[in-house]
Amino acid sequence: MNDLSLIRKNLFRKRMRAALMIVSIFFAFAIFGVLGAFLRAFYAGQDLAQADRLVVVNKINFTQPLPISYFNRIRNIEGVRQVSHANWFGGYYQDPKNFTVVYAVEPQTYVDIIQDLIELTPEEKKAFISERTGAVVGEALARKWGWKVGDRVPMGSNIYTQRNGSQTWDMTIVAIARPTSPRVDTNFMMFQYAYFNETRTFDKDTIGWILLTTTSPGINDRVSKTIDAMFANSPYETSTDTEKAFNKAFIAQLGNIALIVGLVVGAAFVTILMVVGNTMAMSIRERTREIGVLKTLGFPRGRILKLVLGESVLLTLLGGLPGMAVAFLATLALRDSISQFVPGLAVTADIYIAALILMLALGIVTGIIPAVNAMRLRIASALGRA
Amino acid sequence: MPPILLQTAAVTKINVKSIPQRFWLSLSTVVAVALVVMVLLAFLAMANGFQRTIAGSGSDEIAIVLRAGSQAEINSGITREQVRLIEEAPGVARSAEGRPLVSAELYLVVDGVKRATQTKANLPLRGIGPEGAALRKGISIVQGRMFTPGTNEIVVGKSLLKEFEGFELGQTASFATTRWTVVGVFEAGGSVFESEIWGDLPVIQSLFNRNNVFQTARVRLTSPAALAQLKQYVENDPRLKLDAKSEVEYFADQASQTTDLIQKLGWPLAIAMAFGALAGALNTMYSSVASRATEIATLRAIGFGGFPAFIGTLAESLVLAAIGGAVGAIATWLIFDGITASTLGGSFTQVVFSFQLSPELVAQGVVLALIVGLIGGLFPAFRAARLPIIAGLQGIG
Repeated sequence: MNDLSLIRKNLFRKRMRAALMIVSIFFAFAIFGVLGAFLRAFYAGQDLAQADRLVVVNKINFTQPLPISYFNRIRNIEGVRQVSHANWFGGYYQDPKNFTVVYAVEPQTYVDIIQDLIELTPEEKKAFISERTGAVVGEALARKWGWKVGDRVPMGSNIYTQRNGSQTWDMTIVAIARPTSPRVDTNFMMFQYAYFNETRTFDKDTIGWILLTTTSPGINDRVSKTIDAMFANSPYETSTDTEKAFNKAFIAQLGNIALIVGLVVGAAFVTILMVVGNTMAMSIRERTREIGVLKTLGFPRGRILKLVLGESVLLTLLGGLPGMAVAFLATLALRDSISQFVPGLAVTADIYIAALILMLALGIVTGIIPAVNAMRLRIASALGRA
Repeated sequence: MPPILLQTAAVTKINVKSIPQRFWLSLSTVVAVALVVMVLLAFLAMANGFQRTIAGSGSDEIAIVLRAGSQAEINSGITREQVRLIEEAPGVARSAEGRPLVSAELYLVVDGVKRATQTKANLPLRGIGPEGAALRKGISIVQGRMFTPGTNEIVVGKSLLKEFEGFELGQTASFATTRWTVVGVFEAGGSVFESEIWGDLPVIQSLFNRNNVFQTARVRLTSPAALAQLKQYVENDPRLKLDAKSEVEYFADQASQTTDLIQKLGWPLAIAMAFGALAGALNTMYSSVASRATEIATLRAIGFGGFPAFIGTLAESLVLAAIGGAVGAIATWLIFDGITASTLGGSFTQVVFSFQLSPELVAQGVVLALIVGLIGGLFPAFRAARLPIIAGLQGIG
């Protein structure tokens, strides 16, 4: 009988107890995996934001408009490589409850500036630029409504009114955008600013925000200051920041999500640690006499330590690995239904690695005291203790 | 008292009294259950606090008129002509001088700095006319005075002042190129209005280049029933592509999404964690039965039935779970109740709210704890009831 089968036999000597512990560890890691993926997706905007991409918004607040003329003025600033602009449309499909992320953008430049996030073929780009009512739809959004290239879809706006008095704009889907990485959210739609601006009834010739890249991240600070100084004391002052800082500030507005998630995972783990730790200690104590017998047979101290620790680590792995598998499946299932709040939900490699480290740590922490006690046990007292 | 009850009472007493013998194991069950209840109650208290702040803001005697389909004030927009038509609508209450009690308002978002994180946050700046404050219930100025019409003066809500920097009485806040002096702080019964900044409507319209633009109109109705008349009037006039709803209805819609999300997160988490605690409880109770095997067998040998042993074990488990539930509820109350937090509300601006624990929520937490105790005690109790007497007496639990 080798050590592994000895460990296995020891672990399952009381099947009910082993099963219960495995189940509780399983839940702890399922919670860990799902919440980890949740946090990851939540902060994705910040991680994916390119270091040299800057966002220019109205200084009062980013919901206030900027004049369209700023686009050309910023384009001529030294050190600016690409510039584009976008406007929030407040979109929905069919019913205001079906909230949809829709931007009105300057087609040519916008597609170029976000090419690290989504892929479009040159033909698709051309179609987007030439078709006045053309719209590019992200893969996830197209899948949600079963849209294909060539479909005409009426998109409602909860902010703007059309020239014809209605609140819907007809758009023609000219391309489905593919993400460059699974973490990129493709629940969005973008259409031509020119079409939007001509047909809306108010706020004409204004834009929501300007996106730009510089020739090198090193000059970001200087370019930001130049832009803000250029529009200082005008009716539309600007605030320029990196995309990363902008996204971070926006997420911070939702409240301290990371802290809440951390507390919950922490509480789940403390619970499990106590349950498993106590049970491990108890199951080793029950076996005092057996350990005495192993020692009598000549098992060295190190091997006893290894056997007991091996048992607790095996236990956490048996619970933890399926837990992570379930987290993977759960995020897959939840992905589309909560994409509105947290897009791109997925358990990433670093979450798996962290989980694995935690499983080993949990196994060692819960096993170490009983293991050391077992190792130090004197044969005479072990066999004497009935 | 029938013997079975006497026996049950005696065994239950023995069980509960012997809990200290298994102190650490019992403690771990209590703590595990307490943590589960705490997580659940913290989420529910958050949802409850948010819900009460928003839903508590509305009155059914006030109607709010928005552009059709806009859902939130921030998205809405109405013209001066539409405001005039609303002033003539049936069901609109009038002042003693015969003026219609209608307040057309401008709702803008400006940046503020959150004290806790030192990050920028969206704050609502509301331009109100002379009727504005009177159309909200329970408004009172607690510091300073109301703004003077026609000046760059603002008053701020109490909650906003607490959470965000730079709005102390007498300070100057600058939004873009204009400067505003804070001349007063108001209270609004803990409602969402306490998270707002108010200024004079015409001044804000002109300084923000929004002349003749309004976001919404608030209307005092002659009675809650007059809402139907107003709705019909709005529907029948083609110039009014607007939605009229009662303030209560409007705020209930605003609160529902966020509250739903918090609750949808809280319950599954608590249930998943409850399984962990359940494993702990079962474990504790099985070992309790094992350690008392001799005792149970002895009782059985002197004539006690299996049923008292069953109830005794179940009672022990329920007592542990109830203690855990109570500890969890008290801890949540001490740690979380009354904590203020702020998040983005339906109109894309910060809503300041506080965690609120209520007796109904505590009851839900305790019920969850008792379910864990019940299931955790049930199977070990069966084992206690069926324990073979001979084996028990020999100590082979």
